[in-house]
Amino acid sequence: MSAIVTIQDVVKEYNLGATVVQALRGVSLTVDKGEFISIAGPSGSGKTTLLNLIGCVDTATRGRVEVAGKNTAELSERELTDLRLNTIGFIFQSFNLVSVLTVFQNVEFPLLLQNKLNAKERKARVEALLEQVGLLTHQKHRPNELSGGQRQRVAIARALVTDPLIVLADEPTANLDSETGQAILDLMKSLNQQKGTTFIFSTHDHRVMRYANAVVRLADGKVLGRESPEDAVAHAMGLETPKHAEVRTP
Amino acid sequence: MNLFDRMLWVIAFRSLMQHRLRTLLLGSAIAGVTALLVTLTGAFVGIKTTLLVSATTLMSGHVNVAGFYKSSPTSAAPVVTNYKKVREIIAKEVPELDYVVQRGRGWAKLVSESGSQQVGIGGIDINHEPGFRKVVQIKEGKFEDLEKPNAMLIFEAQARKLGVKVGDTMTIVAPTFRGTNNTLDVTLVAIAADIGMLSSWNTFMNDQGLRQLYQLNDETTGALQLYLKDIEQVKPVQERLRKVLAAGGFELLDPDPRPYFAKFDSVNRENWTGQKLDVTNWEDETSFVQWIVTALTVLATMVIVALVAIIGVGIMNVMWISIRERTREIGTLRAVGMQRGSVMAMFMAEGTLLGFMGTVGGGVLGVLLSVGLTQAHISLPPSWQFIFFSERLVISPTAFWVFFSVGFITAAITAISIIPSFLAARLKPITAMSHVG
Ligand SMILES: Nc1ncnc2c1ncn2[C@@H]1O[C@H](COP(=O)(O)OP(=O)(O)OP(=O)(O)O)[C@@H](O)[C@H]1O
Ligand SMILES: [Mg+2]
Repeated sequence: MSAIVTIQDVVKEYNLGATVVQALRGVSLTVDKGEFISIAGPSGSGKTTLLNLIGCVDTATRGRVEVAGKNTAELSERELTDLRLNTIGFIFQSFNLVSVLTVFQNVEFPLLLQNKLNAKERKARVEALLEQVGLLTHQKHRPNELSGGQRQRVAIARALVTDPLIVLADEPTANLDSETGQAILDLMKSLNQQKGTTFIFSTHDHRVMRYANAVVRLADGKVLGRESPEDAVAHAMGLETPKHAEVRTP
Repeated sequence: MNLFDRMLWVIAFRSLMQHRLRTLLLGSAIAGVTALLVTLTGAFVGIKTTLLVSATTLMSGHVNVAGFYKSSPTSAAPVVTNYKKVREIIAKEVPELDYVVQRGRGWAKLVSESGSQQVGIGGIDINHEPGFRKVVQIKEGKFEDLEKPNAMLIFEAQARKLGVKVGDTMTIVAPTFRGTNNTLDVTLVAIAADIGMLSSWNTFMNDQGLRQLYQLNDETTGALQLYLKDIEQVKPVQERLRKVLAAGGFELLDPDPRPYFAKFDSVNRENWTGQKLDVTNWEDETSFVQWIVTALTVLATMVIVALVAIIGVGIMNVMWISIRERTREIGTLRAVGMQRGSVMAMFMAEGTLLGFMGTVGGGVLGVLLSVGLTQAHISLPPSWQFIFFSERLVISPTAFWVFFSVGFITAAITAISIIPSFLAARLKPITAMSHVG
């Protein structure tokens, strides 16, 4: 499998007045095409920061971030925007739909930005996705007429409408009840399997980690390791790692 | 995405509608300024039209053939000798002509029992004055009586000042062009409604009476006033007349865009005697009141600029507030791939749309206001009559000025929205990630 995201020794510092906050302290990570990967870690561990760097909405202080074969440090603002438009789909924790647009228009929007398809083609594409997320009948609604789960499904449709290589989701289920959250993850997973789209999502919820192929655990701005979901869940639930358990056993 | 993308305008329009109260307030302010601009420009057109109508009734034709006769180099008299020959040339060479009238010109002191006033006197032949009767409104007496020798028409304000009524006798004391004073008793036969400042010093009397006052023969007049079918033809007619009159053997004064009464000094300084003709137009003869139009234009421009600046600051503030409220939306659009330029275009579209809706509403309002004010036949206070050249308020909104107002203010609002739109476009896509709000 080929790497679609490569991160090497990345440091991200925020200047808070006189003090410097190190949100990421030398992170290296590779994500392959088609993975369904979770970034896990406690609050403040740097999950959002990492996703922002992968999503090209922020740049690293030091180190190398490569997305779809492009070194993001070398791209202009304009090129970064184009990269986001054509390569990356975003799913936000608070859905972030444009409130004045209908469900259909929200999903159609990235296609308008791309300006590649004509109206008929756009309609077909948008309706196919709305069908997949189960909201075809709601296409004329405004976001404020939908439930949280429905809104997030619209956001998923919007993220996928351009057929991106990577979909980034920062705590996509944090604002949803657990049942709805699971439905959303089921949907993401099935899209990942159907289309082979790479999904990278962050969470600190062990029920969410279970869905991933692999979990990257972050703590205090550092990658603790890349684990199977089972191990990660064990960690998240406060259980010791098997290695430590071995030490204790005798 | 560019300005022609429907979606930009959809977002802009719906965002405006989402904040109905705010949009309504700003839109009303814009509409108010536009309505004011439409009304002011309408008032200008009204002033200009009434000025044109009253000036070309009282003291000038669209084009005039007048001039001076000098028996000695320093005794210029505002007289055209042998005017009938001039009239023949006009009849032959000016197909644009509607009609032509001859008017005697005089300047004298009008003395009543209780007062006196220095006035200009137009000698008129009331039976050959088609325009005069339409514009001058008789308040007392009748036009027809101007047929009588030594009959006189004055205006209301003059009548008040002189303390006279129809039937009274007054005396005209006129310094002649030969340096002595002539006097003539006249009978007041008609008092007309005032026509702004132009009627304050103009009076009219029977043309034969005026000739008698100055001891002139029947072949003389003060000016031939030409009225054209189309006022736009003034310049070519004026030029042609100069040529054909010169070719017809008449001497001409050099072109000089001043009213005739301002020319005595310069004519008297010239070392010639006999007759010279002068071809002028109505703007020349009213140039001494054009400053009013200019002053009003300057004043109104200042008012409009100040108002646009005030609402401009308001709009910038409100747009800035709206942008602050929508940082997450803007960040989201940037994150999903909208370029800075498109964000800027989207907010400018909002400004343009707000401006357009406000100005179109204001344009309609301004037209209604103008028509309403004119229809209400509001009598103007005397000092205002002076400036408006009319007894009543006349506001004539024209399509040109309505479109101008809508276009100008919409453009101004769009220009004003550049700054907040630029700031919106600078917002970072990362603001989309914030979980607050
Ligand atoms: N814009 C910023 N300015 C200053 N410090 C920041 C900024 N963004 C993040 N940080 C700091 O960087 C560290 C990592 O933050 P980050 O938001 O990436 O954590 P997180 O893992 O997403 O946390 P959470 O689970 O609460 O969302 C934190 O200490 C945070 O305070
Ligand atoms: Mg976070």
